[in-house]
Amino acid sequence: MESQLGGRSEEEEVAAAMEAQTDVDLLKKAWRNEKAAPEILQFEAGLVQRAREQIQLLEETVEEFTENRSDDLVVPLYQMDLDRALFLLRSYLRIRLQKIEKYKVHISKTNLWNRLSEQEQRFAKRCIDIMEKHLDQSVLSRLPYGYQSMLKQSISSEEDDMVPEPQLNTYVFCKSKSDVGAFQLDDMGEEIVDLVADDLYVLRYNSIKGLVDGGRIDLV
Amino acid sequence: MYGRRASQLLRELAACEAGQLTAFNSDTFEQVIRECNEHNLQLQSLIRKIEDANLDIQTTRNEDHFGAVIHHLSLLRNKRCLMAYMYNRAELIQSLRWKIGPVLPQEIQEKLNYSEEEYFKNHSAAIESYMSELDLDLTVDMVPPKDPYIRVKVLDDIGELCLGDHAISLTQHSLHFIKRTDAEPFISQGLMEEFLE
Repeated sequence: MESQLGGRSEEEEVAAAMEAQTDVDLLKKAWRNEKAAPEILQFEAGLVQRAREQIQLLEETVEEFTENRSDDLVVPLYQMDLDRALFLLRSYLRIRLQKIEKYKVHISKTNLWNRLSEQEQRFAKRCIDIMEKHLDQSVLSRLPYGYQSMLKQSISSEEDDMVPEPQLNTYVFCKSKSDVGAFQLDDMGEEIVDLVADDLYVLRYNSIKGLVDGGRIDLV
Repeated sequence: MYGRRASQLLRELAACEAGQLTAFNSDTFEQVIRECNEHNLQLQSLIRKIEDANLDIQTTRNEDHFGAVIHHLSLLRNKRCLMAYMYNRAELIQSLRWKIGPVLPQEIQEKLNYSEEEYFKNHSAAIESYMSELDLDLTVDMVPPKDPYIRVKVLDDIGELCLGDHAISLTQHSLHFIKRTDAEPFISQGLMEEFLE
């Protein structure tokens, strides 16, 4: 892809720019969703890959323009585009890491684990080990037998009751591109909302979780 | 009162301004650890007392049983307070990696206990190895970029800086309009600052 850069016609440039636009939009959407959702979402592996390729392409374009001393007005525009794309990508990855830092143990025990990229899984594992070592040497190892677990309050707890979990019933702002129709907010079928395209709603994350995962609604 | 000391630790955390770290309170911390072990001794002796009286430990509901329950619950409460204290501090400490960088200034360093210092180092290393696997530095670009160029004020004599086809001389107190990416390394080293009107 990059090697052809020199020989591009103007049309190809435009087409490439259009394509870049859509991926940037997708990245922006993924970033917004990730930012607003209380729990970690599916890692957008393909999108991140494409975004990185396009960023590299942009970098080369900027470099080339600078070398050729071409129009002084064009370079800053490309540079700005590049800066924005880079920020989105970095911020997206950063938000995910910070969620992992916060809920690592919870994530590792549930099927949220499969939402992480390979590198993120390695990061999470390391984080858990580090936290466990830290808590163990400063608190747990000095407590009486039966009270030394990081996950359980005491030996008599039946399940892990000391694991921080994200609050899923918090309210989020959301918007849908297309009509979802009548949507049931609770299990009882007592609360039903008619989700109309482009209207803004404030709903509990819990109830629209399925729509977010399925990409039918966007968080804002 | 049982559990009061432990709650003091947490009150200290809560009273602190958000994002600020207080010095590790090892006195109170040690006292609570000691309290935990005392509770355990009491708890064990009460259980032994029930057993010595040949009563069933599962079903007996006499004063010894309720005494034991109180010690057990106090111990749990203390444990939760200790863990919450350490855990919340650890979260704050790991956020410093994002805000300040891999090396902490002396005045923060002094507020950590030994295990916390080690935690910070290990956690930084985990973030760094993630970034090097990705070949992308995530600790820059913390705020959304506005303009590729920024106006900066030079705080210290830096000398000549070569910018593509021309060089500018960065003398102290001079103002420049340069690329943000060129300015960023100087800003984080404290040699320049963004000049805002």
